[in-house]
Amino acid sequence: MSALSFEQLGKSYGDVAVVNDISLTIREGEFVSLLGPSGCGKTTILRMVAGLVQPSRGRILIGSDDVTALPPNKRGLGLVFQSYALFPHLTVYENVAFGLRRRKVAGAGLDKRVKEALAMVRLADFGQRYPRQLSGGQQQRVAIARALAPRPRVLLFDEPLSNLDAQLRDEMQIELKRLQRGLGITTLFVTHDQGEALSMSDRVGVMAKGVMQQFATPEDIYHRPATGFVASFIGKPNRVSGIVVSRAGKGGVVRLGNAIELPAASLDQPAGTRVDIIIRQEAVRLLSDRSEPGGLQGTIALRSFSGSRVQYVVRLAGGVELVAETASHGPNAALAPETPVVLSVDADSVFTMPSEGAGA
Amino acid sequence: MMSVRRGLMLIAPLALVLAAFFLVPVLMLLPTSFSEYMPGSGLAKGVWTLENYTRIVTDEYYREVVLRTLGLGLSVTLVCLVLGYPLAFLIARGPERWRLPLILLVIFPMMLNLVVRSFGWIALLANRGLVNNLLIQMGLISAPIKLMFNLTGLMIGMTHIYLPFMVLMLVAAIRNVPRDVEAAAATLGSSRLHVFTSVTLPLSAPGILAGSILVFVLTISALVTPRMLGGPTYRVMATLIYDEYMQLLDWPSGSALSFALTIMAIGIIWLSSRLTKRWAGMA
Repeated sequence: MSALSFEQLGKSYGDVAVVNDISLTIREGEFVSLLGPSGCGKTTILRMVAGLVQPSRGRILIGSDDVTALPPNKRGLGLVFQSYALFPHLTVYENVAFGLRRRKVAGAGLDKRVKEALAMVRLADFGQRYPRQLSGGQQQRVAIARALAPRPRVLLFDEPLSNLDAQLRDEMQIELKRLQRGLGITTLFVTHDQGEALSMSDRVGVMAKGVMQQFATPEDIYHRPATGFVASFIGKPNRVSGIVVSRAGKGGVVRLGNAIELPAASLDQPAGTRVDIIIRQEAVRLLSDRSEPGGLQGTIALRSFSGSRVQYVVRLAGGVELVAETASHGPNAALAPETPVVLSVDADSVFTMPSEGAGA
Repeated sequence: MMSVRRGLMLIAPLALVLAAFFLVPVLMLLPTSFSEYMPGSGLAKGVWTLENYTRIVTDEYYREVVLRTLGLGLSVTLVCLVLGYPLAFLIARGPERWRLPLILLVIFPMMLNLVVRSFGWIALLANRGLVNNLLIQMGLISAPIKLMFNLTGLMIGMTHIYLPFMVLMLVAAIRNVPRDVEAAAATLGSSRLHVFTSVTLPLSAPGILAGSILVFVLTISALVTPRMLGGPTYRVMATLIYDEYMQLLDWPSGSALSFALTIMAIGIIWLSSRLTKRWAGMA
């Protein structure tokens, strides 16, 4: 087990930079996720670490070894694929033994370690099956056992849970995290699922268009997004086009539509810029006291119940709509459409990003 | 799931055509193959015999032709596989823009008539053909090498003609090998060569066997090329059958040979499909 670091790591195809000079260090035993929409470069980073894609710039270090120029078979990594990528012509046992045999482990040692790895993923009795005789979740557990068996220095996951159904995905998240903690193995996990990234990771790197937007703990990513993109990508955001009206210090005032003005604690753009304003649904509060100052007057347009939470679409002045989320029990749990309400939004929860229409 | 009845209806037109114009005529040959041939007068009436079949095994000349046919089939298949796999690999894995031109190049010979292609080989391989003339003029040999009317000539001609079938089968099979599975082997410590032998090759086995069966069956049943490049004396089963029918008018013997050839072909197909299943872990 070792730390994994990137120094100015970048990849371009022709003139197109898919990964823009990223530097970061994953500490020994740490679980780090790269999170971002498809095409943000997160998978390219993973494939560069694995040696399947050659970087255009920069270095990759495992511990203190520079592995940038090493072929995949000399890097001592474990890689788990979205497609499982099991060897279909080999039994589960032989799949797990594959990497051990390449490291010249043989005889009783081999047998012991294959059985250990299979026991770790709770598939001890499945050694003689072929991959196609297993369910998707079982296949992915075999893939994990196969990657773990040779005791890799770093474990890489490429969207490993995306092909599983929702309930199984939740189970596997917990199981994976337990395994990773137990073995203390440095892990890089690539996903487009924010729930996965936030719940499993020690730190999360949010990426967009090949650029690392923020690399921080899940709590910081969620509560203190560094950029408008991070705010718009994490949680369930409202996204309304608007304009920066004025600036004051770090923050200022933004206008939604053409009537509603809101203070914002932190803004990246100068006054007069057309922007998309991001406000997270759970940051929009329904006030029971209609007379509170700074409240936004509106009426309920739609109510949507989703178990533990209720979402309201609230129509404000000038036709602007915001979604407010609240607990599905309590005073505001059952408001009928057309009920007049008052909304309040914290200045800390208002973010802006370049308007989609206006270009970046 | 489609119902059995609809399935049957869909294959009915082809099945009827095959039954009327292929199966029935072939079955009509069955009694002929057990008849006795009287030189000069044709089939002997009411006499049944197994001799037409036993002769294929006991007669030294027939046995030689059968073994030669099988040997030719095996060697052409092997050469096609060895020459075709690298080409198929390049087409399947090489740069995208090479794919279409390469496939067209592979298919192109198939657009020319078989007779034309065989004549082309005669012009090249004959005693006074291009290859021998060139070698003699370069002073490498003094007398022409025999490149026709023997196994060499047949091998060259048939390999050329059936290589495209092998390549097309292999391209499809190699493109079906998931790149992730190869990448997985690489990250687990396999060198490029080991990735190829332990993953790519076994996973393309169905294509290797399908291509081999196709080339083998086509080779052992080919008539035109062996006729032209093998001449009247160097015979394989197909040319022998042709001669039994058309020149010796010995229909019973020709029929028996035809059935022997068919049974061999079916036997090989059956054996290979069992092999595929075991080899590719699909048993």
